[in-house]
Amino acid sequence: MPSIVPALEWLEGLAWTTAIRESVWGYPMIETAHVASIVAFAGLVIMMDLRLVGLAFTHAPLAQIQRRLFPWQIAGLVPSTATGLLLCCIDPMRYYGNVFFRVKLALLALAGLNAVVFHLKTYRRAERWDEDPQATATARLAGVVSLLLWSGTIVSGRLIAYNWFA
Amino acid sequence: MFLPFFEWCDGLAISQAYRQSLYLFALTQSLHLVAVTTFFGAILIGDLRLLGWGPVAQSRAGIARSAQSVLLWAGLAVLVTGIPQFTTHALTYQRSPIFVFKMCLLAAALAFTATLRRRVAAADEGRLPSWVPRAVGAVSLALWMGVTISGRLITFYG
Repeated sequence: MPSIVPALEWLEGLAWTTAIRESVWGYPMIETAHVASIVAFAGLVIMMDLRLVGLAFTHAPLAQIQRRLFPWQIAGLVPSTATGLLLCCIDPMRYYGNVFFRVKLALLALAGLNAVVFHLKTYRRAERWDEDPQATATARLAGVVSLLLWSGTIVSGRLIAYNWFA
Repeated sequence: MFLPFFEWCDGLAISQAYRQSLYLFALTQSLHLVAVTTFFGAILIGDLRLLGWGPVAQSRAGIARSAQSVLLWAGLAVLVTGIPQFTTHALTYQRSPIFVFKMCLLAAALAFTATLRRRVAAADEGRLPSWVPRAVGAVSLALWMGVTISGRLITFYG
């Protein structure tokens, strides 16, 4: 299988990635914007998850609250993805060798998959959520899985700073 | 003025245990971020509602009431995970302008949330001019985003 290392080394050697990596403000500013947008995005996802699980906002119909939060979740997801990709471009070899980065990517993929399945399958029964016990049980399970996956993503993302297993 | 307090924090058994462990600080820091994210989510849903966006079919008071228990539990988790991080590096933070800035902003955000924001969110919808909840939502969002951003910058410039 061809290695992706030469491509990452090429990326790392580009003038603009080197300039940002070596500047005093570039990396910290992008990293901080990444964290700020994640906190907004994941914060609203967690609020929806707590509603799905039945721990908060239980007076609000599930479908209604999800419909109203969704655009704001996307508004947080777009900048967090953009800044995350930028961070990968700036220092690709550092992330490539980092165990927690790989764990984060795996959890991110699972969290994304969970969200897509939830939207495509469970969400179609959204109008019945608050009356149908089976739909409520499925929604509750989706909420628990989402809470675990996003928490794991945040924890592993923070641990990227510590390369214990290099 | 506060130096004896910072020295006392630095000398605590928990601070020493954190300094000696390779993993404890990093794991606490990670859980702190999960707690901060949850706390911020509960603030953001309330602020969006105050701004006239988000779950507008629910009353401002209803959203604020429901968000309050999340705020309390997540706030407790933020404290429990934040305090050992502070005591472990108390002597460093004492000299950090960004840490001092974050703490001042945090005090302002907490005071604002517990007083003005709480009263405006609980007020009858028709009683206040529409700009009041919007302004309160915007100020709250700016304050809490400032706390989050300055907290992150401690790592780089603290």
